[in-house]
Amino acid sequence: MGFVASLKDKYYTLSIVGMAKNAGKTTALNYILEEAFDEGLVVGVTSTGRDGETTDVVTSTEKPKVYLFTDTIVTVPVKLYELAETGLEILKRTDYRTPMGNILICRVAESGYVQIAGPGSVVEHKKLCEDMRGYGCDMIFIDGAIDRKSIAAPETSDAIILATGATISRSMKIVVEDTVHIVSLYQTPKLEEGPARSAFSEETKDVYRILTMDDENRVTDLGVRTALGAGKALDTAITDRTRFVYIPGALTESILDNINPKKLQGITIVLPDPTRVFVGAVKWQQLKKRGLNVKVMQNIQVAAVTVNPYAPQGYNFDHEQLRNAMQTALEDVNVPVFDVRAGGLE
Amino acid sequence: MSHTTATANTTVDLTKIKPYGDTLNDGMVQTSFTLPVPDGDEAWEAARQLAKKMGLEEPNVVYHKDLGIGYTYVIVYGKCQHTVDYTQIHVTKVESTVMDRVECIQYMKDHFTRPIVVVGASTGTDAHTVGIDAIMNMKGFHGHFGLERFHDPLQPGTGMIAVNMGSQVPNEELIAKAIELNADAILVSQTVTQKDVHIINLTNMIELCEAEGIRDKMLLLCGGPRISHELAQELGFDAGFGPETYAEHVASYILQELVERKRA
Repeated sequence: MGFVASLKDKYYTLSIVGMAKNAGKTTALNYILEEAFDEGLVVGVTSTGRDGETTDVVTSTEKPKVYLFTDTIVTVPVKLYELAETGLEILKRTDYRTPMGNILICRVAESGYVQIAGPGSVVEHKKLCEDMRGYGCDMIFIDGAIDRKSIAAPETSDAIILATGATISRSMKIVVEDTVHIVSLYQTPKLEEGPARSAFSEETKDVYRILTMDDENRVTDLGVRTALGAGKALDTAITDRTRFVYIPGALTESILDNINPKKLQGITIVLPDPTRVFVGAVKWQQLKKRGLNVKVMQNIQVAAVTVNPYAPQGYNFDHEQLRNAMQTALEDVNVPVFDVRAGGLE
Repeated sequence: MSHTTATANTTVDLTKIKPYGDTLNDGMVQTSFTLPVPDGDEAWEAARQLAKKMGLEEPNVVYHKDLGIGYTYVIVYGKCQHTVDYTQIHVTKVESTVMDRVECIQYMKDHFTRPIVVVGASTGTDAHTVGIDAIMNMKGFHGHFGLERFHDPLQPGTGMIAVNMGSQVPNEELIAKAIELNADAILVSQTVTQKDVHIINLTNMIELCEAEGIRDKMLLLCGGPRISHELAQELGFDAGFGPETYAEHVASYILQELVERKRA
């Protein structure tokens, strides 16, 4: 069975998320689009930034273009509309602003290369996908800019395809380790149903506030908007009776460093989703061994991992070796790995 | 023998421009690089062959130096065979009318009933304050006053409130400050760009802003000698400011964008 066929029944919106630039994200997207076309699916394609330029602004290496087939629904800002090498029929002019003009929702009338762009923010992205659904897309693929892992936030997509590759490090071991860290982070367990989940699920995206819940399910508002720079305040607020700490924003190493490790052992830190974690692979493992317990309101499905054995810095790994090492490391979580430069799954 | 023209063409064809050395369109280019081989005939020939592959005809090694560890530094002259169509060049620029400081102050009086709060820093490992100081400090740079002076001293509580946090500020501290002050815009300066360290740092900044839910509530700007508006946008910033931009460019953009986004 084809790659897209195996995903179609499970997911509607899929984000292609890069571990870093040049991890083979656009190559992966082109592969998927071709598969989808062969299977007769109408797909929507959008991006979290401008993508599909011939050259990459950061490294000036040649970047694969995004080739779109007839009837694909695509989002393009006004200024890039004229640059498209394909026939585009405008379906809707949206109010989502980008520095390159408002976003247009278009239907591809004639196959060709297109520069895709979408709104930069998660909130607008979600609304845009709803708009696109209205135009009859079977599936939507979101191409992320650089390593904007934040766009993997569950509110924008049902699952992600994580694109990784040699560019991460000259050591294959580190490429695999860092990728596994992200995959396991994304699959952080969800907070079970119960008083804590009920209390925290009422929190909205508009109001950020840090909450604690004690052993009698009493909720206290700490009165701070962000945990950034507030590690000490958190430490003070956590008592013997505290069971949960809800942080709506980022969880960083310096926040955790300011909390007494003993206090950390007795509590569960609850985050909206795993993209709020900003802790490196090694540190994360250390903290977990010392009793750090993190749960999320919503985790992220990783539909597949793609590997690119070529790094623009001028080195490469053996195709089979990298793919096999990655597949072995991801065996436990049952995530398929495919090489975007060698041609799909086995 | 009959020639239609007696002299060579001396007018510039903007659809096919190439470097000027001694005469128009001779394509002369100077390149310098280091090869990981010992100085000698073979190294010079390697340099010439490499230059040819770069599209430089008649490559000529005009200088070479043994770097002492079996490496050789060379300077090669050659004639570039490529041309660029200048008329088709498209550069993404910050689109706002540039107002000078006095005009910015007037614009704030006309459009805002509150002060505009801007928080800036040189972030990550970067210890250079030259960029953020040039934009924010009262004395400014090169005869262009900084954002700290973008207010009317006779009308306190209006105009711009500029908070410069200095250098080596972690992204999270900058964001915490911006949240505390309910800033309208965050300025990030990046001077050091070795091994693309600025890309990693700027990307981390955007991700933290998304995680903190302020990405669409504040304007995010970055600047530095290797920053272009196009790069800034690709990284997820609203605007980027490269060399030869001053406080008035930054202020003009912020004020007009705030009005455009109806945050007046």
